Amino acid sequence: MTELLQNLINGLAIGSVYAIFALGYTLVFSILGIINFAHGAVFTLGAYFTYTLVVGQFENNGLIKGINLFPAGSPFHGSAWAFAAAALIGAVLSGVVAVIIERLAFRPMRSRGADPLLALVSSLGVALVIVNLIQILVGAESYSFPGDIYGDLKPALIMHVGGKLIVVRSVQVIIFAVSMVLLLILGYITQRTRVGKALRAVAENPGTASLLGISVNRFIVITFFLSGFLGGLAGTLVSTAFSVAGPYFGVAFGLKGLAVIVLGGLGSIPGAVVGGLVIGLAEAFVPAEYSAYKDAVAFALLFVILLIRPQGLLGRVQIQKV
Amino acid sequence: MTGHVAPNAPFAPMDAGQQLLQATGLTRRFGGLVAVNNVSFEVRRGEIFGLIGPNGAGKTTLFNLMTGLTPPSGGTLTYQGKNITGFPPHRVAALGIGRTFQNIRLFKVLSALENVKVAQHARTGAGLLQGLTGRDRAEERLVDERAWALLDLVGLANRAGEEAGNFSYGDQRRLEIARALATQPQVLLLDEPAAGMNTSEKGELTGFIRRVRDEFDLTVMIIEHHVPLVMNLCDRVAVLNFGELIAVGDPASVQRDPKVIEAYLGG
Amino acid sequence: MDFLQTYGFLIVTMLQQGLLGLSLYFPLMAGQLSLASPGFYAMGGYIAAIVLTNPSFAPWREALGGWIFPVTWLLSGLASAVLGVVVGVPALRLRGIYLALATIAFVQILQVLSLNLSVTGGAIGLFGIPQAFGFVDRWQYIWIFLPAVVVVLLFAHKLQGSRVGRAFRAIREDELAADAMGIPPTRYKVLAFVIGAVIAGVVGAMSAPFLNTWNARQGTFDASIAFLAYTLIGGSRSMWGPLLGGALLASLPELLRGLADWRLVINGLVLVVASLYLPQGIVGALSRLRRKTPPQRPTPQHQAALGETP
Repeated sequence: MTELLQNLINGLAIGSVYAIFALGYTLVFSILGIINFAHGAVFTLGAYFTYTLVVGQFENNGLIKGINLFPAGSPFHGSAWAFAAAALIGAVLSGVVAVIIERLAFRPMRSRGADPLLALVSSLGVALVIVNLIQILVGAESYSFPGDIYGDLKPALIMHVGGKLIVVRSVQVIIFAVSMVLLLILGYITQRTRVGKALRAVAENPGTASLLGISVNRFIVITFFLSGFLGGLAGTLVSTAFSVAGPYFGVAFGLKGLAVIVLGGLGSIPGAVVGGLVIGLAEAFVPAEYSAYKDAVAFALLFVILLIRPQGLLGRVQIQKV
Repeated sequence: MTGHVAPNAPFAPMDAGQQLLQATGLTRRFGGLVAVNNVSFEVRRGEIFGLIGPNGAGKTTLFNLMTGLTPPSGGTLTYQGKNITGFPPHRVAALGIGRTFQNIRLFKVLSALENVKVAQHARTGAGLLQGLTGRDRAEERLVDERAWALLDLVGLANRAGEEAGNFSYGDQRRLEIARALATQPQVLLLDEPAAGMNTSEKGELTGFIRRVRDEFDLTVMIIEHHVPLVMNLCDRVAVLNFGELIAVGDPASVQRDPKVIEAYLGG
Repeated sequence: MDFLQTYGFLIVTMLQQGLLGLSLYFPLMAGQLSLASPGFYAMGGYIAAIVLTNPSFAPWREALGGWIFPVTWLLSGLASAVLGVVVGVPALRLRGIYLALATIAFVQILQVLSLNLSVTGGAIGLFGIPQAFGFVDRWQYIWIFLPAVVVVLLFAHKLQGSRVGRAFRAIREDELAADAMGIPPTRYKVLAFVIGAVIAGVVGAMSAPFLNTWNARQGTFDASIAFLAYTLIGGSRSMWGPLLGGALLASLPELLRGLADWRLVINGLVLVVASLYLPQGIVGALSRLRRKTPPQRPTPQHQAALGETP
């Protein structure tokens, strides 16, 4: 029973980050019909941006070796609110990068009416460029956030249940809480506000939306910003829970994010949430002997769902017009 | 003029006028929309059978049901007495039902010759091994000759090497018919073959379809908007409206049927 | 001889990468974007590495001597064919992006397996793989890889002009129309996929002795992207495209020696720029300049091809 609860907690925590991350994919897919492979790179950037703001010092082997961008009096040292601000700024910067990516790699494709697979390849190229630029600038080693970034919060809540210990790390609570809040906000925006409705209109049918006076390009920019914001935020959250494991840590995550959205249903916002939680829980419940295979769980699920129900749990079947 | 059916087509000999194709209660739903609703009719050997109806009546969907591109939600389809409901398109083609498409689906990057060659796939059998070792030479030659003959038939042989996508609209339609004929069908389904043609071209097309029906011993089913063409060409006509069959019979009586008049005029 | 000594490794690598690009070419002929090649390449290499280093296979090695190497190629080819069918039949019912995702999943699963099974040496991998046929210099592998390239090119050439090749192209252009013209799409998509898998697997088996060690880094998503870049930059519609792309991008680190760190950044930029401006690849762009010879009409035979009496 205790183990069940512990796994549940762990699964929900990581699952909710998967969900936030996957939402970035979903937003872009629902509006452009393509998968933005650069999303994993933006995720990584988010973590690095926040790290720069909070710690600002890179010791290892990149070009910015030994440079201290924010010396000891840096505004973001110490308190939990300062960290929150840094995370927010990191996420905003990630959003900006995503918008730039759209401008450079996706918009020219759209204006040429190019095959969507080419846009995919182009986004792969962008991801390669970003990740390797990070590596050149800052080195390939992993960094860690200092232990006190959350300020006065206790690192973990330890409870006794049924004679055994359950550990709930503060960071897990924070992650879960932030995810849920974000999802609620996103849900509200897309369902209740005019912006949201316009977004959905563009997603459904850009041509008609444009005829109705909606500036399609503007909404695509908004979507990419949101997507980058979510990705960057997810990167920050994950890296505080583990460590900023080098420039490549977004790649594995990025691939898992694909599993999440396919499982949930490409283009479905609730699907991204469901998919994220399902995969998070599935990974958490892998028995300890097989924990090395944990990473394969997401991909095994991806493969299986593609075979039995390609539209995912909450997606709609794509009707092909003949 | 009698043609003989090519050696490896699996057709049983039949008399003219016999029932070849029968649809019973064919239905197709897309979510809440019923595109084709309980449609039943038969197509007889050797006839030219027209399918008309206002836009969105479900005519192309019906073709798609008949050729396996869309599985029916209900109903059955039999061909030469054999139940072919739910068969995938390549099986339907192999059995002898060929078609063209409303919005022309030629293999645009392939040459005209290649388009017509590739459609002979179901009538040939060379596999990977034969292709690699050159044991397919005789078959390839036959495929080549048939393709040239079909291009001659539609008058496009002088442009055999050009990309199909570069042809004019009217030429593309003719090429698509040649391609459909390359599958050596017994039944040929033509989806709006005259779209975009002017009056004289339409007249040529009418003559062409009759000639092809005679020379190749075909049965033809044709979706067409241009009512005079249909009345002129077809032996029998079926009228579809909102997915339902509202009339079927010879052109003259269908034209006078009040339900048909209402469907076209009533909006 | 000196030239070979200095550049032998590079030349062989160019040939090898060209072959891996070609392994993507066959699925692409049928319009399938498969990112699965690294998985088969890695598996092929592991099979060869295991047969060549694992004590359980010592009796084989002694009995067969130099022939053990072609045997590893055969084994890898067979294993790839079988796995290719097993994975391909379900996966190829998917289209476009879904297929690409399924192949990504496949590669990831294989990678996790190879990192964790003891027979594959876990994260460290297998090392000390003996040199093929007792080769002493790396450039001698040209004797293996060059004939391999020639064989694959001949194969591609014959395939292209055949009924199967036409079927592939039709499926590539318009799968539904091809279906309606009597071509069963899944069967041929699986065939194209398996051909690509076998090539990647055999190249893996050939590469294990060449590289001396084999580990999970051979079968990564990054490799998928690299192979994709080869076909993009070289051109995906002709067999020379992926070959050229592979050779070119493999030689890039040498040509740009000073920019070693920037190699992957350049790879990425290549992908972006090529997909924007050169979607047909170099070979594709060149072929547009070349005049095509019109097809020859066969000499008339008196057996009327369509069986009509005039």
